[in-house]
Amino acid sequence: MDRAIKLQLSTSEMNYFPDEVIEHIFDFIPSHRDRNSISLVSKSWHKIERSSRHQVFIGNCYAISPERLIRRFPCLRSLTLKGKPHFADFNLVPHEWGGFLHPWIDALSKARVGLEELRLKRMVVSDESLELLSRSFVGFKSLVLVSCDGFTTDGLASIAANCRNLRELDLQENEIDDHRGQWLNCFPDSSTTLVSLNFACLKGETNLSALERLVARSPNLKSLKVNRAVPLDALTRLMSCAPQLVDLGVGCYENEAEPESFEKLMAAIKKCTLLRSLSGFSEVAPICLTAFYPICENLTSLNLSYAAELQGNHLIEFVQFCKRLQLLWILDSIGDRGLEVVASSCKELQELRVFPSDPHDEEDNNTAVTEVGLVAISAGCPKLHSILYFCKQMTNAALITVAKNCPNFIRFRLCILEPNKSDHITSQSLDEGFGAIVQACKGLRRLSVSGLLTDKVFLYIGMYAEQLEMLSIAFAGDTDKGMLYVLNGCKKLRKLEIRDSPFGNAALLADVGKYETMRSLWMSSCEVTLGGCKRLARNAPWLNVEIINENENGRMERNEEDEREKVDRLYLYRTVVGTRKDAPPCVTIL
Amino acid sequence: MENSNSYSPYSSSSVDSTKPSPSESSVNLSLSLTFPSTSSQRETSQDWPPIKPRLRDTLKSLRLRQRGYNTALFVKVYMEGVPIGRKLDLSTFSGYKSLLENLSHMFDTSVICGTRDSKNHVLTYQDKDGDWMMVGDIPWDMFLETVRRLKITRPERC
Repeated sequence: MDRAIKLQLSTSEMNYFPDEVIEHIFDFIPSHRDRNSISLVSKSWHKIERSSRHQVFIGNCYAISPERLIRRFPCLRSLTLKGKPHFADFNLVPHEWGGFLHPWIDALSKARVGLEELRLKRMVVSDESLELLSRSFVGFKSLVLVSCDGFTTDGLASIAANCRNLRELDLQENEIDDHRGQWLNCFPDSSTTLVSLNFACLKGETNLSALERLVARSPNLKSLKVNRAVPLDALTRLMSCAPQLVDLGVGCYENEAEPESFEKLMAAIKKCTLLRSLSGFSEVAPICLTAFYPICENLTSLNLSYAAELQGNHLIEFVQFCKRLQLLWILDSIGDRGLEVVASSCKELQELRVFPSDPHDEEDNNTAVTEVGLVAISAGCPKLHSILYFCKQMTNAALITVAKNCPNFIRFRLCILEPNKSDHITSQSLDEGFGAIVQACKGLRRLSVSGLLTDKVFLYIGMYAEQLEMLSIAFAGDTDKGMLYVLNGCKKLRKLEIRDSPFGNAALLADVGKYETMRSLWMSSCEVTLGGCKRLARNAPWLNVEIINENENGRMERNEEDEREKVDRLYLYRTVVGTRKDAPPCVTIL
Repeated sequence: MENSNSYSPYSSSSVDSTKPSPSESSVNLSLSLTFPSTSSQRETSQDWPPIKPRLRDTLKSLRLRQRGYNTALFVKVYMEGVPIGRKLDLSTFSGYKSLLENLSHMFDTSVICGTRDSKNHVLTYQDKDGDWMMVGDIPWDMFLETVRRLKITRPERC
C-alpha cells in the first residue's frame, strides 16, 4: 500500500517513461489490493494496469460477471473465485443456492483467455465444466478446489487426461461423488510435470498401481496427500520413490502394522529429509505416528485434526519433538497438558487450531481443553498470530491475560461449544475478555466471538477493532445497538456474519451506504423482517438482497407474504451486475 | 436441572454451566433442539458447533466405531429421469423421517413414503433379493440390513 502511494506521488515523472517500463514496475506489486489502488491513480495507469494484470481475486462470484471481468483483464492467467457464503460450511445454505462455475469457464473459453490457474472456494463445479476447462486452456497448470461440490471423479479424469502441463491438482474438503473409476490412470504416461497432488477428500478406492506409477514419473512432486484408501505398504512404496517430498498427507493405516512393514516405512521416512509438512492420519493406530519420529524435528506444519483415534498422550509424545513447528492443527484430545507441552516446545508457532473431538458433549470426558491451555499457549509462543480454539469453558481473566501476552493476533476465533456460556468462575458475560483482545491486538483482521455476550462487547469492537475485516457473531448481543456499534465503528469491515442474535430492522437499515464498503452481510435467525429487507433493497439498488427460505415447498408463497414475518436467512452483497438469474426457488432476491 | 423448554438464547442471565452427568445427557441433547436451527436433522444439531462436514463425519464415524456399530452404509440414490445419482451414507440417519427430510433437501422436492400418485415423489428401494419395494414398510434396522439402492419415482402421469 505504501508503495502505491509513493508511486502515486511520482506519477508525473513516471509518465515520461514508456508504458512497458511502467508495466515492469507494476510487476513488482503482486497484491491485488495494491493493484486495485494503482488502477485508480489515472486513466493511463488504469489502462496499463489492466492489460498487465495476470492474477485476479474475486471474493464473491456474483459481484461481477465473467464477461466484464474478461473485458477489463484480457491477459488474465490466474483466477480465484469464491461462491457460497462462509456459513455454507455449516449446513446453513441450501446445496442448490448457487455459485456455479460453468458460466465462468464458458466465458473464459469463448474469449480464449490464457488461463493457467484456477482457485475455487465453495463453488458448484460440474463434470462438464471440468471437461470444458481441460480442453480450453493449453497452458493450464493449477487447479485448487476448496469446499466445492457437484462433480465426480469423471471430471477429475478429464483434467488428468487433457491438461498436459498440469502441475497442481489440490482438492480440499470437497464433496466428490466417487465413481471408483480410473481417474488416476488417465494421467498420460508422458505426464511428468506434477508438483502437487492432493486427493485426501476422496472417499472411494484408489488405483494404487496407477498412483505409484504416477508418483514414480513425477520428479518434481513436492506435495502428495492421499486418501484413506492408501494403506501402509503402498505409502512406503510411494515415499521410497519420492524422497523429495516436502508435504505429505497420510492415508489410513491398518490397526496392527507388522514389524517388517513398519521397519520399511521408517526407512522410507528417514530418506525424506525435505519433509516439512504432515497431515491426514485418519483411522491410524498410534504406532504409525511414531514412524515419523526421525523427521519430526524438521516439521514446520502439522495437521492432525482428522486423527480422531490418537489420544492425548500419543499427540503429546510426538509434538514435543516438533521444535520448528509454525502451524499446528489438532483435536482437543491433546488437552491443556498437551497445550502446555506445545507452549514449551514449539517456540516458532504462528498458527494454532484446536478442534472439538466431542462437539455435542456426548462423551463424559474431562480431558478437553479449557482456558488454561489457551493461556499457556499465549505465554509460550511469542510468534503466535492466528488462533481457532474450540473449548467448553472460558474466563475473562484468561482472555485478558492472552491479550497481554499476544498483542500480535491477526486472527482470533474462539468458539465456546455451549452458546451463551458465561465466565465459568464469575458467571459474568465475556464482554471484558473480548474487549481486552480487540484493544490489545491493534492488527486484528478477523474475529469470531462466542459465549455469553451483551451489546457491550460490540461497543468495544466498534471502538478498538480498527483493522477488523471479518467478524462472526453467534448467539450474542441484546439489542440493535450491538450491531450498530460494529457497523459504525469498524471502518475496514468487509464481511459480517451473524446468527441467532437479536438484531433487527433498525440496525439493518441505519446506514445503507455502509454495505457498499463491504463484500457481504449474512444474518440468520435474527430479528430482521421481510418488510425491513424490502425497504433495504429499495434503498440500495447496488445490493443483491437475498432471502433464503426453507419451507416445505422451498418457495416463498407470494400471496401470504407478511412484511412482519421474520426472515430465516438474509444474505446481501454488493454487485455491479444486478440480480442474478440462477437463483433456485428457495432463494428470493428482493 | 433447568427446564430445557424455558431456555432462551437471548437471556442475559447466567446459564447453568454445570456439566451434565451421563444420565442427564439426553437433556443436554434436547437443549440443542431449542437453538434456532435451520437444519433438517434434529437429533443433534448439524449447524452448531461450526465445524466442517469432513470433520463432522470423521468424528461421527469414530463414535459409531467406538460403540461397535458398523459404520458407513453407502447406497446410491437416483431420481427417476435424472442420469446422475447421489450417494448417501444411510448410517447417518436415525430413521425414515430424517432420511426423507434429507432426500427432500438434496433433490429440492418433497419426497415421501407411500403409494405412487400424481402429485408426489415416492421413495422406493431395491432389497438384497433385487426386488423393488416401497420404503417404510419394515422397521428401520431391518431396512438398513436389506437395502441396496434407492430410487425416487416421478409423480405418475394420468
